[in-house]
Amino acid sequence: MALEVSIEKQLRDFRLAVEFSANRAPLGLLGPSGSGKSLTLRSIAGLETPDRGRIVLHGRVLFDSARGINVPARARGVGLLFQHYALFPHLTVAENIVFGLRALPQTERARRIEQQLAATHLEGFAQRFPGSLSGGEQQRVALARALAVEPAALLLDEPFSALDTHLRSAVERQLRETLSTYRGATLFVSHNLEEAYRVCEELVVLVDGAVAARGPKEAIFRHPPTLEVARLTGCKNFSRARRADDGSIEALEWGCSLRVTQTLAAPLGHVAIRANHLRVHSSTGAPLRGCENAFPCWLAAMTETPFRVTLDLRIGSPPSSSTDHHLQAEVFKREWEAFRDSPQPWQVELAPDRLFLLPD
Amino acid sequence: MNWEAILLSLKLAVCVAGILLVAGLPIAYWVAFSRHRWKFLMEAVVALPLVLPPTVLGYYILVGLGPRTFPGKLWQSWFGHTLPFTFGGLLVASVLYSMPFAVQPFAAAFEGLDRRLMEAAWTLGASRVETFFRVILPLSAAGVVTGVVLSFAHTIGEFGVVLMVGGNIPGVTRTVSIDIYDQVQAANYAAANRTAIVLLFFSFLVLSAIYGTNRRAMSLWRQR
Repeated sequence: MALEVSIEKQLRDFRLAVEFSANRAPLGLLGPSGSGKSLTLRSIAGLETPDRGRIVLHGRVLFDSARGINVPARARGVGLLFQHYALFPHLTVAENIVFGLRALPQTERARRIEQQLAATHLEGFAQRFPGSLSGGEQQRVALARALAVEPAALLLDEPFSALDTHLRSAVERQLRETLSTYRGATLFVSHNLEEAYRVCEELVVLVDGAVAARGPKEAIFRHPPTLEVARLTGCKNFSRARRADDGSIEALEWGCSLRVTQTLAAPLGHVAIRANHLRVHSSTGAPLRGCENAFPCWLAAMTETPFRVTLDLRIGSPPSSSTDHHLQAEVFKREWEAFRDSPQPWQVELAPDRLFLLPD
Repeated sequence: MNWEAILLSLKLAVCVAGILLVAGLPIAYWVAFSRHRWKFLMEAVVALPLVLPPTVLGYYILVGLGPRTFPGKLWQSWFGHTLPFTFGGLLVASVLYSMPFAVQPFAAAFEGLDRRLMEAAWTLGASRVETFFRVILPLSAAGVVTGVVLSFAHTIGEFGVVLMVGGNIPGVTRTVSIDIYDQVQAANYAAANRTAIVLLFFSFLVLSAIYGTNRRAMSLWRQR
């Protein structure tokens, strides 16, 4: 393992206790704000001191409370890309990039500047000041500055959050390209699951200062282990649930009984399903596949985007108001056009293999 | 016009501003960045000259540095004379008296810095001293210049502490403000007027020159 982290820190009203490891592939640290992502990152960089634990990077102990080891930030060889970049405003782009390379001879420094400017497509920017650059350019300078010292690990703290939406995808592509040539451990912190999913292979999900899930990203998205993780991965529909005897469960808030294919060892707490996994049909149209878990439903409200519609649906009886709904379904416009004019109730199908059974 | 007094005042102010630049920066750094629980005591001590009448401060310095105290005896054994009524004594008193005018602008400038810039420097391998000289100091230049100018100006204008500690010895401790006071006491209004005008004009010139340069220097890295 390239990076092993196992730390605890108690703040006044927050407790961080996390344990995870990362190898060369970018590891995503996903969690809502206030979940301890930044504190974890800052502890690894040496800007915060945990109360207990160990941090080992490529076999080198950076922190070990039991042995009294706490390597200062300047000697850790850990690069940190700050959320707002923290470029030195009084130095040029080139001076920013070589800030950490004072010990190198002049010619080597010039070579590193060239190399980093080329790698981040910033040729021609060397003599500019950070204040005159766009957000995306500043981010590239910050990345070039962090990589110029050839750190053993690179920590990225919400690297896209300060960028305009239209800039993000280009900047993100560039970051992935740069990271693919980087040989150290990479830790990518984000509260945006899609962003984390695109950049990283493995994810660690933090909730309230503790690891709520970790593993390959597909596994976490396919089988979120807890309610918080399901919600964090974008799941919109939840209901308290109770186990019935005949291989089915009762969804209490949705007021229906659902057939399930999986079993859950722990006591059942909630059932959940993603908005895009719900299927909606007209009652009279094509026959439903197997007709399992299909219920009559009424439309409470609708929102349209260019290619999809989001339907707020109520099961069992017509809604009393536009906010009175059980499920949120996301369907492509083409499918929607097939049933939009047919009389309600429509049918909503909750396929058994798409249901998440979540422990209490 | 008493050129001797004017030169003495200038010499004193330059020395005070220089000493406070060197001694004030570490104090301001500590005040700005320390999380020590007794930090407020240091802040209070530094700010004391702002509220105390100069005579009170002068009195304590006079007694504290006099021949009966430990620091006074120590000084006497090294230099063969006591501090009060010498230029050295005047300097020590002036430094203490002008301390808040240097330390507070320094500390305010440090506190106004984005802490992440310092953290970025550390993660790039810079030591605390290196970070201070390469990041903190250049970005606090406006506050540092302000502190130096204020302590310089404050020293030129001080009167009570000089009178208490320095006395009125021509060429040694008779500064401009004392000289003007003397001349007014002697009803020599013409001489007082000439010295006062020179002092007024000179002070205005120095302050406007420094503030003017300062603004231009700052605009270098505020281009957006």
